[in-house]
Amino acid sequence: MKPPRGVKQERGFTLIEMLASLGIFLLVTGAAFTLLTSSQQRYQTESEVLTSFQEARLGVDQMVRDINDAGFPPPTFATTDPRKVTLAPFGWSPNYTIPAPCQIGTAGGGTCFTPTDFDIIIETEPSPPDPNCPGSVEWIRYQLPQNGTTLMRGVACKQAGAEPGVQTSGVLTPFVQNVVNNSPTLQIGQFQLDAAYPALFPGGVPVPLFQYTCDTPSVPQNPPQPCPLAGADNAPANIRDVAITLIVAAPLPDSATGQPRLLQLKGRGRRINPNQ
Amino acid sequence: MSEGRTKRWRRREAGIALLIAIFVLLLIGVIGIALVVSSGTETALAGNYRSSTTVYYASVAGLEEVRARLRPNNPNSFNALTPGTFLPRQGTPLAICNPVYVLNPAPGEVVAPWDPGNPYYDQQYGQEFGAVCTGTLPPNPSPNTTSVWQNTPLSRLSSPPPAYKWVRISAITEQSLNLDTCPNDSTPDPALVYYGLVSRCSPTSFNLNDTATGAQVLELTALAALPNGSQKLLQYLVAPTPLPLTFSAALTLDGDNVQFTVPNSTNFQVGGTDQGSVGNCNPGTLGPPAVTAVGYTNSSDASRTNILNAIQANRTGNYTPSLTPPPPTPNVSLVSLPSLGCPGCSLTNVGGLNALVQAITQSADVVIQGPATQSSMPSAMSATNPMTIVINGSLTFDGWHSTGYGLLLVTGDFTFDPDASWDGIVLVIGTGNLNSHQSGNGQFLGSVFLARTLDTSGNPLPPGSAPVSPYFDFTPTSGSNGVYYSSCWVQAAQPASSYKILSFHEISQ
Repeated sequence: MKPPRGVKQERGFTLIEMLASLGIFLLVTGAAFTLLTSSQQRYQTESEVLTSFQEARLGVDQMVRDINDAGFPPPTFATTDPRKVTLAPFGWSPNYTIPAPCQIGTAGGGTCFTPTDFDIIIETEPSPPDPNCPGSVEWIRYQLPQNGTTLMRGVACKQAGAEPGVQTSGVLTPFVQNVVNNSPTLQIGQFQLDAAYPALFPGGVPVPLFQYTCDTPSVPQNPPQPCPLAGADNAPANIRDVAITLIVAAPLPDSATGQPRLLQLKGRGRRINPNQ
Repeated sequence: MSEGRTKRWRRREAGIALLIAIFVLLLIGVIGIALVVSSGTETALAGNYRSSTTVYYASVAGLEEVRARLRPNNPNSFNALTPGTFLPRQGTPLAICNPVYVLNPAPGEVVAPWDPGNPYYDQQYGQEFGAVCTGTLPPNPSPNTTSVWQNTPLSRLSSPPPAYKWVRISAITEQSLNLDTCPNDSTPDPALVYYGLVSRCSPTSFNLNDTATGAQVLELTALAALPNGSQKLLQYLVAPTPLPLTFSAALTLDGDNVQFTVPNSTNFQVGGTDQGSVGNCNPGTLGPPAVTAVGYTNSSDASRTNILNAIQANRTGNYTPSLTPPPPTPNVSLVSLPSLGCPGCSLTNVGGLNALVQAITQSADVVIQGPATQSSMPSAMSATNPMTIVINGSLTFDGWHSTGYGLLLVTGDFTFDPDASWDGIVLVIGTGNLNSHQSGNGQFLGSVFLARTLDTSGNPLPPGSAPVSPYFDFTPTSGSNGVYYSSCWVQAAQPASSYKILSFHEISQ
């Protein structure tokens, strides 16, 4: 039986039709998959940046809280047990036990081993009390090692006659990953070239994680000065403000461009407890 | 029949544009949602940080408001409230277990820290005082007052007040602190904790003690809460740091090798006899009937010679207290400098003088950046309202036919025009230069103290060194009736004591 005419005309596709439709299909799906791939890469990179941002934000927040609380309880609480009161809001090394202050410098200057641009020891009794140090003041140290990218944090119970630098050096644990403030100069140069972050590393040198201002009790009319400019008052016990600049990199470079992704966070802690 | 349906069916199936479109839309949708989620997380992160910072400073705002209002010369001082309804009368300590609250509710909100059903219930009170007070609740209701944000003019502001809800003022004991303070008898006692100089614990610095020495330590605890639930509890320990300034001479020239020139007139006198009544205070009731006229502090240098050489032979009688028997004239003597109440303050060395300047600056009514003139003097200053005025730099009086009242501290040169007078204390610490070159009949009633803490180039001297070469430079032709000692004016001009922060602590909840 002869099929009706209309059905015959619609049966199958011609080769041209097939090629044309396949071509259009490929074009459209190709475009869609390209978009998908680039979006996935973008999403992956942004997720990593966000994770780093979150970690860095928590880190800065914790550091600011610790610095705000530095120096509690102050020496005026007049307790004879040195573990129960602070000697000063910030611990230092060397000569803490003598005690003789050291001078805070930048870029490796000064006589302090700590505090420095990348190292600080906060002396305080946190709330709630740490079960490891019941009723005792703690030394809380933040340190970014030379050429290292992991900001370390360590807590040690204050011990009579002990140096905070020594006590805390063995208990440091990773706190914030991929901190690039103190990267080798070569890598910083790479950041500036590749990632187009010239403003993050002025002069192509490491960026201090901590910058300090000191009270100037010997010249009371002066407001707090940057510690290296505070002359006779340049001492860890006089630190008033700690400005924190944290530069973190995403764990993996940007999937689309292959360049590192950096983030800069700033915070400021202000110690309120008295100096002595 | 079935043929027609097949035709329509096939027509509908022709092409896959719809499928592709749906697929692409799906992709874009997924990507869009992912981006929204990602930016939402980022916003939440930034928002959390903002909340945490906001609530911290809101809580500090509460602490600072109360610390300021504890001062008697604050316009919103708690002293203006009926004594006994909030804080006890002056001289009576606040008892333990009797906290008082400053409340700062948002519009339409009820803040009742003593009510366990209130959203801003004070749980921390029980944690801190539960062991020393009966029960873990503050008295219901505890004495309370409103914050400055609840009253005009601040209540009329369109911006919302700080988000602190209450500030608790409470007394503390060693037991509530769970700490043994001076004199370190190794057991926490139930006595109230004070802040003062207990020589057996420290000969020079103030400490917390349970021997009622000094001023009572008050604990300020502030709770701040944001509508999103962020809360922060911060705590200060504060104590007043009075500055009992006393003087052993009408005019004290502190430091080595004083320089001294005085007018050659019968009117110009430096009188050590206590004079001048203020209110119910009468001369001689607060101390000796007279002090030295001109006092210097170094007997082994040219100070005494410089002073005596400046006084004309026929004017020696102008430099004397009226005592019986009369002391040799002129009455120029070595004086011992009194010790001061504020920690680190001393009149004998540069560091101590600087600490004194800092302490006075902290409790000043007005701090003016120099160079200043009489036009900078606050209009509210009067005999019944003596003020503490700090001029951070030089001060020049020129043609001011008026009298100042209170404590005047000048860190630069003080150029005085004797048209003016000053009742109270005049301290020139810094350049240590008080000079006058004009005529007039003005005088100083109270005490004048000069100390130079700068070297010849104007740089600060080391803290441990003695002050040098104060310069009392009233030219021989200038006027002025001189300087007269008045213990009543010295007392009336004492700076109001500010409440010093002894400690700061954030309390986790």
